[in-house]
Amino acid sequence: MKGRETLSNRFEDGVLALLPRLRRFASGLSRDPVDGDDLCQITIERALSRRESYEPGTRLDSWMYRIMRNLWIDEQRARQRRSQTFVSEEAGVAIGASGGQDAAVELNDVDRAMASLPDEQREAVLLVMVEGYSYREAAEIVGCPVGTLNSRLVRGRNALLAKLGETA
Amino acid sequence: MSVTPEELAAFADGELDPVRHAEIGRAVEADPDLARDVTAHRALRARLAAHYAPILDQPVPESLNAPLRCKDKVFSLTEHRKSRAVKRSVIPRWKWVAGPALAACLVLALIPLGSSPKDYAGQQIATALDDQLVATQPADAPVRVLLSFRDRSGAFCRAFTTAEQGGIACKDAQGWRLMEHLAGSTVQTEKYRQAGSVSDQLMARAQEVADGPALDATEEERAMAIRWKSSPSP
Repeated sequence: MKGRETLSNRFEDGVLALLPRLRRFASGLSRDPVDGDDLCQITIERALSRRESYEPGTRLDSWMYRIMRNLWIDEQRARQRRSQTFVSEEAGVAIGASGGQDAAVELNDVDRAMASLPDEQREAVLLVMVEGYSYREAAEIVGCPVGTLNSRLVRGRNALLAKLGETA
Repeated sequence: MSVTPEELAAFADGELDPVRHAEIGRAVEADPDLARDVTAHRALRARLAAHYAPILDQPVPESLNAPLRCKDKVFSLTEHRKSRAVKRSVIPRWKWVAGPALAACLVLALIPLGSSPKDYAGQQIATALDDQLVATQPADAPVRVLLSFRDRSGAFCRAFTTAEQGGIACKDAQGWRLMEHLAGSTVQTEKYRQAGSVSDQLMARAQEVADGPALDATEEERAMAIRWKSSPSP
């Protein structure tokens, strides 16, 4: 039992300080700010319930991103299972975005281009190009080899460049 | 020299080792197509970063902040209470803990028996526990002893508070072992003076673990005279 760790607020303070960045990552992952905050919410709850597995002195941000990312992937898998029997939600989003008018959220070019990427490419792009992690750090968060991260990143980037124009 | 797309991206991101970085740097200088790709990569990065940056400046919704302000500490406290409530009646003074009016983040950590020596009270607290009597201690003593009692093993235990923390310690052969430890980031603040609440919690907790009533002034004096060493209960 690590009762003594609860004597300090450092863990909570650390997570509090990370919230703006966690919201940014969540919003990018889930392609929607509202869904992003839901993802943030369950990430915080999970982090608090698993705090014993956080090793003090290691990077809290990477630990939190990993939790968020894994929760997101779990959610996607659950969605995929549902969509095998129901109309694909992904297809619905894509149609709504291209149809334009009645989309609840105004998507701009970058949002649309990012939303079109497969999840594994989008998370690689977000971690490196938005969150500023090195390839190695991003690979650790995702739980894949650095080479895999690198190639997902390049595929994601090339797809973005193709959609957004070479001059970005 | 051939440059793979992965290497070019890694070059643009500054992810290559210095030797390879220099090699590709020369290739990029010599090849306008490569140079254009590197520029595009960097421009994309800047565009993405700018696109997602505004969210950093938005106020964080309270629903996300709130769970991090206090509660998980209180979780351990209330869970602990729940597990005990089955066996023991609830002491009313604890009820405020679960209430919405909780103004400060109080922590009750149950320190397990038989753990490391660090679980003993430090010098300042130990000295106070050794030498201060509830009846005669100065009102402004840095460590304030709230009461003394014997636990079920017959050991002498004392509840205390300081400006930042409070606890219950029981005397054994090595010193004052901390049985309970309460700390709060805001035990005392201008607006909410929480010291009283800490005392209430400790008193209530003491009632749970005590075997019999708190020591009176005479019993305390006697206990101090034998250096709080446990003797068979009378």
